[in-house]
Amino acid sequence: MTSARFLGLAMAALLAGTAVTALADEPRRGGTLTYTYHPEPTALSTVATTAVPTALISTKIYEGLIEYEGAAMTPVPGLAESWEISDDQLTYTFKLRPDVVWHDGEPFTSEDVKFSIDVIAKGYHSRGRTYFGNVEEIETPDEHTVILHLSAPVPYLIRAFQAGETPLLPRHAFSDEEIAEERVRQAEIMQAPIGTGPFKLQEWNRGSYIILERNEDYWKEGKPYLDQVILRVIPDGAARAIAVERGEVDLAPMTALPPPEMQRLGGLPHLVSSQEGSEGLGPIMWLEVNLREAPLSDKRVRQAISMAIDRERLVDVIWYGNGQPARGPVVSGNPNHFDASLEPFPYDPEAAEALLDEAGYPRGDNDVRFTLTQNFLPYGEEWVRQAEYIRQQLRGIGIEVTNQSLDMGGWLQRIYTDWDYDFTSNFTHNYSDPTIGVQRAFISTNIRQGASFSNSMNYANPHLDDLFHQAAAMPDGPERKAIWDEVQQILREDLPVIFLIEIGYTHIWNERVHGLITNGISMYSNWDSVWVE
Amino acid sequence: MSKATLVFVLRRLLQVIPVVLAIAAFNFLLLKLAPGDAADIIAGQMGHATVEFTQQLRREFGLDLPLWEQFLVYMTRLLVFDLGVSHLQGLPVIDLILARLPATLILMITAIFIAVLVGIVLGVAAARRQGTLADNLISTLALVVYAIPAFWLGLMLIVLFSIQLDILPSGGMVSIGAGHTGLAHVLDVAWHLVLPAVTLGLFYVAVYTRLMRASMLEVYGLDFIATARAKGLSEGKIAWTHAARNALLPVATLCGVQLGHLLGGSILVETVFGWPGLGRLVFDALLQRDLNLLLGILFVSSVVVVIANLVVDLLYGLLDPRIVHK
Repeated sequence: MTSARFLGLAMAALLAGTAVTALADEPRRGGTLTYTYHPEPTALSTVATTAVPTALISTKIYEGLIEYEGAAMTPVPGLAESWEISDDQLTYTFKLRPDVVWHDGEPFTSEDVKFSIDVIAKGYHSRGRTYFGNVEEIETPDEHTVILHLSAPVPYLIRAFQAGETPLLPRHAFSDEEIAEERVRQAEIMQAPIGTGPFKLQEWNRGSYIILERNEDYWKEGKPYLDQVILRVIPDGAARAIAVERGEVDLAPMTALPPPEMQRLGGLPHLVSSQEGSEGLGPIMWLEVNLREAPLSDKRVRQAISMAIDRERLVDVIWYGNGQPARGPVVSGNPNHFDASLEPFPYDPEAAEALLDEAGYPRGDNDVRFTLTQNFLPYGEEWVRQAEYIRQQLRGIGIEVTNQSLDMGGWLQRIYTDWDYDFTSNFTHNYSDPTIGVQRAFISTNIRQGASFSNSMNYANPHLDDLFHQAAAMPDGPERKAIWDEVQQILREDLPVIFLIEIGYTHIWNERVHGLITNGISMYSNWDSVWVE
Repeated sequence: MSKATLVFVLRRLLQVIPVVLAIAAFNFLLLKLAPGDAADIIAGQMGHATVEFTQQLRREFGLDLPLWEQFLVYMTRLLVFDLGVSHLQGLPVIDLILARLPATLILMITAIFIAVLVGIVLGVAAARRQGTLADNLISTLALVVYAIPAFWLGLMLIVLFSIQLDILPSGGMVSIGAGHTGLAHVLDVAWHLVLPAVTLGLFYVAVYTRLMRASMLEVYGLDFIATARAKGLSEGKIAWTHAARNALLPVATLCGVQLGHLLGGSILVETVFGWPGLGRLVFDALLQRDLNLLLGILFVSSVVVVIANLVVDLLYGLLDPRIVHK
């Protein structure tokens, strides 16, 4: 990012900050917040799918065991009013609030928590086994106490209790048959949710809108402020932008708008635009490289490709300023794990050419060194344009690239099941800890055919594997941080993928809305403190 | 309805069964050719799924069975009108379709009504003034409208009528949370329907104008028109009572054929206007490899198209009494 740009952003952030403090003194009770996102959710629980549309709406209805504050995601009391972790980090004791009821009036108890972790998270959530694999036993000595017994420490466990990651579901809403026959995802509650959250489902008019209404029995005194949260389904990107511009819609979270529209709307006086509030997700994009065959198996070739791409230009031109150049596998906004000593990747086409010559790939007929096929994520126009841009840049250093377009089903199959590709853009999240978000793509035990977003590159580095194993069983602290620093340096040097951009989630909302940004997963928070003028 | 017509209808309905089943079987095999399945998509969406997780999904959806067995299960269920459960939404496919079908039918019928009505009037007007400035103007206009992409036209209409003039809504089918019932609900839907129906209909206006004009010119060359003129009938009466009715047959044929086409066109219009119809559902189902839902929609739409064509066949009899169903 150029310094002028940075200054501009900093000024904007400062101005936005003052504006919010000036107006945000008196939260007002009542009113409706309407947001838009596409596609429409397919279910109202992240147990069915953690896709963004479902995560956005279900986290207002369901809650996790505890809550989180700030970009660093500091755990604070929620449904569990207190907790204790034993010194050896093998026992977690949670005390539950006694006054919580489900949306259907039944009391919320320790049995529900046990069920939600044991049966739901471990059995059905894609990350459940990662979080709770070491949980050997869950004890419920009374209705309001839950004790987790672990076989080995899990440093990131305390951040696993987010509403989208480990939603608490009522045991009484499932029949024994549904559980025994693994029909949880087809249970009625997936469409007609019963949670403990500040909002409950009022109406779902498929294809049009979902209305959530205030939960009058919510356990937080005086909350939520809003009467209603409405999701308006508007399939067309330009039409979504028009709705936000006209004030028909108050909020376009995350990737709800096409980047050019974000830039345009961000400049309008009645709208606020912010990239804050997604630090706990850590979105990152890279070029995934198939290391099985020459020339990409040669590190120098990958380094040359990395040097041929102007990341700042990519951010500015293709992504309309949404994001910043990546400096490694961990996003720079992650306050707990990013190695701040990492420099930006150099852009140096001449050095790239020298590296390719050295690697034994001189320019041949038509000035071409070799040819490659590029795939890209089927997430929209920007991804196509980025692929075009990269093709152009690589042509400049003598690499001829053919672009190949696939839809999501085809892309997943080709990259993760067939392993039949040269390189492809890819987009993933760091989540709350590198053991969850980073290890997965680079550890050699995850070279597994058919596992999506795994180590499709065939990258195996025993030393790195060892570091991952160490970090996975060690409490957060300077020692663990040192391991993550080394991991980042190794991956930067080896380049099993070519790190491109930390894509920014730009949320755009009407200035009448307040209190949206509360932590590192603000759009997946329950919005109980959001209010409108 | 005469007995002959009744027999004709029944026979045609019986013919529908093998046709629709063959379409369903063809669809099933065609969709199986596409790489990836719903388990891949859900596992992909979940970001951090393991191989075991993906296989668990396949087992839940019955996608782990051999292809012939899946085919057999699907066709057997189809015979008793069981369309199965949507992989992604976990709801019976028939419920999802029935929730969306009315919206699409309202949009399609209104659009085709606008298209046929305006198309006939303009077509007749152009034919009566063949070679004049008015004829050229109508023909050129029709060509221009025909060439405008529906999604662009839709956006332009939104800009004009909802942003600039602020008299029509920019999208949706009802006012959210208004809870209208009865007449108020009908008016609310109609108010939301104007822009999408006009957008979808305008493209076809061009088609019908051109067709009606050509058809009218053909009829104008026939002897009975000369007879009518000799009798001293007014040009207006000749055009509307004698020529137009005869010229309508090809228009009716095209209506039937184009219903399937219209269903395709409605995807774009439903997308731009957020109209909660089948078009958008089919698009999302395809991207998400929601096989049961996709097959269900294709099944229902093939039934709709086949039945619509039957209705058109019956209309022939009304338009031209010389046509008798045997």
